[in-house]
Amino acid sequence: MSEPKTITVTVNDKIVEMVVPAHRTLLEALRHEGFVEIKCGCEKGDCGACAVLLDGEPVDSCLTLAWHAEGREVTTIKGIGQPGNADPLQKTFIETGASQCGYCTPGMIVAAKSLLKKNPNPSLNDIKRGLSGNLCRCTGYTRIFEAVQLAAEELHAEGESA
Amino acid sequence: MNQTDVSQGSIANVNLRQVGKNKPRNDAPAKVHGKAVYAGDYYMEGMLFAKVLHSDRACANIHSVDVSAAKALPGVHSVLTAADLTASNAVMTDLPGQTGGGTKDTKQPILAADKVRFHGQPIALVAAETYELAELALDLIIVDYEDTEGIYDPFDAQKPGAPIVYGKDNIVAAYKIRKGDIEKGFADADYILENTFSSQYQEQAFLEPEAAVAWVDEHDILNIRSSTQVIEHFRAVADALGIPHNRVHLMAPYVGGGFGGKEVMTIEVWLALLAMDTKRPVKLIQTRENSFLSHGPRHPFTITHKTGVTKDGKITAMKIDLTSDAGAYAKLSPYILLYSVVGSTGPYRVDNLWVDATSAATNNLPACAFRGFGTMQANTACEAQMEEIAKLIGMDSLQLRRRNFIQPGDPNTTGQIIRSSVWSDQCATKALAALGQRPDNADHLAYGHGVACYQQSYGRIRWMKDSSESWVGLEMDGTLIVRCAVTDIGAGQMSALAQIAGEILGVPMDEVTVYFGDGHVNPLAGTSTASRALYMSGKATELAARTVRENLLECMANHFQVSPGELELADSKVFVLDNPERYMSTKDMVKACAAEGVHRHNLAIFKAPPSEGLDPETGQGDVFPDFTYGAHAAQVSVDTDTGEVTVIKSVGAHDVGQAINLRAVEGQIEGSALMGQGFALSEELILEKGVLKNGSLSEYLIPTSEDVPEIQSIVLESRSGLGPFGSKGIGEPVFAPVAASIVNAVADAIGARIYDLPLTPEKVLAAINEKDKLQRGR
Amino acid sequence: MLPPFALSQPQSLGDALQALANDDEIQAFSGGTNLIPDLRSKRETCRNFISLQALDELRYIQRQGTRITLGARATITDILQDHDMPSDAPALYAAAGKFAGTMVRNVATIGGNVCCGSPAADTVPALLTLDAEVSLSSASGERSVALCDFYTGYKQSAKRADELLTSMSWTVPAENSANLFYKLARRKGDAITVTGVAVMIAAQDGRCTTARIALGSVGPTVFRAINAEEILTGKALDKDIIEQAARAAADQCSPIDDIRASAGYRLQTAFSLSRRLLTQAWQQVA
Repeated sequence: MSEPKTITVTVNDKIVEMVVPAHRTLLEALRHEGFVEIKCGCEKGDCGACAVLLDGEPVDSCLTLAWHAEGREVTTIKGIGQPGNADPLQKTFIETGASQCGYCTPGMIVAAKSLLKKNPNPSLNDIKRGLSGNLCRCTGYTRIFEAVQLAAEELHAEGESA
Repeated sequence: MNQTDVSQGSIANVNLRQVGKNKPRNDAPAKVHGKAVYAGDYYMEGMLFAKVLHSDRACANIHSVDVSAAKALPGVHSVLTAADLTASNAVMTDLPGQTGGGTKDTKQPILAADKVRFHGQPIALVAAETYELAELALDLIIVDYEDTEGIYDPFDAQKPGAPIVYGKDNIVAAYKIRKGDIEKGFADADYILENTFSSQYQEQAFLEPEAAVAWVDEHDILNIRSSTQVIEHFRAVADALGIPHNRVHLMAPYVGGGFGGKEVMTIEVWLALLAMDTKRPVKLIQTRENSFLSHGPRHPFTITHKTGVTKDGKITAMKIDLTSDAGAYAKLSPYILLYSVVGSTGPYRVDNLWVDATSAATNNLPACAFRGFGTMQANTACEAQMEEIAKLIGMDSLQLRRRNFIQPGDPNTTGQIIRSSVWSDQCATKALAALGQRPDNADHLAYGHGVACYQQSYGRIRWMKDSSESWVGLEMDGTLIVRCAVTDIGAGQMSALAQIAGEILGVPMDEVTVYFGDGHVNPLAGTSTASRALYMSGKATELAARTVRENLLECMANHFQVSPGELELADSKVFVLDNPERYMSTKDMVKACAAEGVHRHNLAIFKAPPSEGLDPETGQGDVFPDFTYGAHAAQVSVDTDTGEVTVIKSVGAHDVGQAINLRAVEGQIEGSALMGQGFALSEELILEKGVLKNGSLSEYLIPTSEDVPEIQSIVLESRSGLGPFGSKGIGEPVFAPVAASIVNAVADAIGARIYDLPLTPEKVLAAINEKDKLQRGR
Repeated sequence: MLPPFALSQPQSLGDALQALANDDEIQAFSGGTNLIPDLRSKRETCRNFISLQALDELRYIQRQGTRITLGARATITDILQDHDMPSDAPALYAAAGKFAGTMVRNVATIGGNVCCGSPAADTVPALLTLDAEVSLSSASGERSVALCDFYTGYKQSAKRADELLTSMSWTVPAENSANLFYKLARRKGDAITVTGVAVMIAAQDGRCTTARIALGSVGPTVFRAINAEEILTGKALDKDIIEQAARAAADQCSPIDDIRASAGYRLQTAFSLSRRLLTQAWQQVA
């Protein structure tokens, strides 16, 4: 079996050093390091609660080996925006009521962030498809779609890309 | 696209500044910033990690459980089996005050001793330095099973000679209603129609699996921080462990969804045992697969309706038989059965009524609480029957409903007189109208419209003598605190209390701090179940806030030399209504009042109206405090080649009494629309001889973002509810009619009725095939 | 929790192939979106892997004339984001859009999906209708296998233990052709296919010149309904011929009952979806 090795991963612009074996998932490794904003819902890629950006692309951290994140950049919801410097998505999620129990929210905003970066003017169908890997049991998604659309409009207005 | 209608005849409500508005919830910022911490996110020094050995089969004797290798594994601190439980090996489903004669036996072993009765029954507990070690330890536990003959059908379970799972005869609960003159009722009918409907297991599928940390602190108090809907479980934990109630401290942080699945104890006792054995903090986050087995799913029901109706559409008699599969232990089955009995007649007035309801035990998963709690299944059957009656007598189904809707002042199923407004008609009419025109059938697509109404209770069964307490107080700097142990499971339970207290004391709700979910620090609020949290803890908070307000205004009246009624509290000020230039900041007001010894906080208790139970022969009595009424309508398309159903539009119209937070109300309607869609079309637990075959989120299919229809909420406010400001409970009511509306829409689209849920594409195609065959046969 | 396993991380294709040559038991770890759940559930018993993560040389979409080649490490999202894929492989593009959910698409690779050999692999029906070829490399050389000859049984393929699937290629469909895909599943998003049908119809002078029908989730492998294709080739298609072909396609199926659907349902929908897609395809080209 593979011996644990020391890897460094940049998480939200902070360098994190971890000693992990090959079979450790990124989800397990990062939660162990205290990044508990990354949620665990199923451990097999069915629910999207564990989504993070890996070099800017949303991935299920439960389906990512920690070793495969070595030397790369991970962004969690806390890296996308902070209180006082919130991402438009975080503001619109609050405004529209797109968060009920909140457990799907970190993964959902990660996926939505990437969606808007690739497609600043998404149709409703684009949004539905973009969030197809994120399950939500509380909201019925309607407010989530609205929040993404509003954030897209706000980003347009700001004239900046996400 | 939402509308809010305010009734004509409502009492002129005070000018509401915060209540009733679209306010962002107080918990939202923490959640969107990933700062909201859930039970499994807490870390404690020296924490151990737990794993549970669940039975891999449904019905077997246990000859031995060998844990020696597991115990010997370095890093394993505790391995517990039934043999180690010296205090007792029993946990009760805690139910203050039970129905019927005598106490229901809800006893369940904490850990299986000499037999397992259901797939997933816990057999052993492990605590180790890491999850990995705990899992290795589990693999080393050897269970010597001897498979035995089980029973897997609630009807078969009642036959003589059936293997016994519960009591003497597998009957967990039974109710009957004998009301009016059923024979005359059927004799007076022009038509009699009988149909049997059945529905399936539904899994709550909350995104956060069960999680908790338990530890014994320096005062020897057992602390448990758990993802639970019920703080009061501290009593059942204490009883199970044989320790005093006042030495168990149960807390709930934000809960990542519950829907009833975290209403009964799930993992709390296991962790308590491990924490007490190891003297260290112990954490468990259930795997999703084990979560499917760690709480009960929705009861499957088989419901037979025999209805007598005149050619003018007046229902003259209803005879209803309901059977639910309780699974291996009683848990809440008796209550769920009672709810199904009360909900069996939908929102209709039926004077000649016979109901017979049975909940039978099997070796299937012990079913338990899930949004709707039996009423939803019963309502779905009733609303399907109404459509079939309408078809039979050649009447528009909404018209048929109008002929039979219960009215204020009428007796309901159990003879309880309805006091609130009943706006079923307006709701159904608006919901259907919002669908617009039914599109014409094309190529391989058939379109259908469906509607369904309901009568769903809010508040608990009245002979439980339910109550809720809340403390409201102003600090010296004018800031406002609410202390209430309500659990926040995602519907904004906590934020609503801030909104109510903030409204009454004139403080912006986002400046109100609510301390919630802590059984030591907060007054007990009761469960976040039965659509009661807003009603009960909202009323308690309202009462406490109003008392504080009275105290303050009495003092301020002196100061301003006006009567208290001429003063208002708003925007962190007290001011004279007619002359707002005369004001004082809340902070200064508090200082002034404190100087005069005014009591600036209050602990209030709100008690739900009690009752003494049902007559065991007639089934008549007052069961619930009140009911919510409304409707849901759906537009669907059916692919006639594949049987796939697409919900295109989904409209909920409900009289919520008074929306406390309008966005939150709409959020409940939208969430229900999708959860009901899942129940109608794609969700089912598949058990084979009691063993769950699809216990993961890729095989148990809840609706995804790509399944979402256009959802519309129509919110009506009669102000006739018993909750704060005339509000009604809504969490379950808005869910009650959804599946029925979709089921009815599919029947409309394909011109044939399918009698068992869910309506999988395969069942729909089979119904289309059958209809084609019949038509060709002509 | 995943079971402990060995993972080596070769930095070049050559090193990867050498590792495969040295050890019979070692397997490739590409996107991992199937492998990780299978490891977690213990369905996968291999405990020795080489990661293909560093092999960027295998992640590409290249065109040379009418020939397209996808490196085995091209992800499903790469396919969706390729500007010309909607016209260069319409059915594959459609399948990619229905493949799992966004996060999985970002990581799952075409090589992994083809190699997993599942009859429910969503890219395979489309690739079969494109007459795709598979390139297999080993330390001792390279060879090409037609995808329609690749699968030898349930989750079994012609790939040897020492080989790596390095690319897929096909010729862009003719001008006057239609290439369609339908995924029937129990919900619209992120679901395992119950019946999957892909067709390719090319026509000239009012006659069908090429017909391909590929079916997934209705047999031990994804397969082409050759009998059905023969009924269509060379003919001016009409309702009856299409119906006959659809019937032949269904006859070639050998579906099973499982928790998602019965064999009977799969048979009926294989027939009606073949009929529908052939009808739509013919309408587009005729």
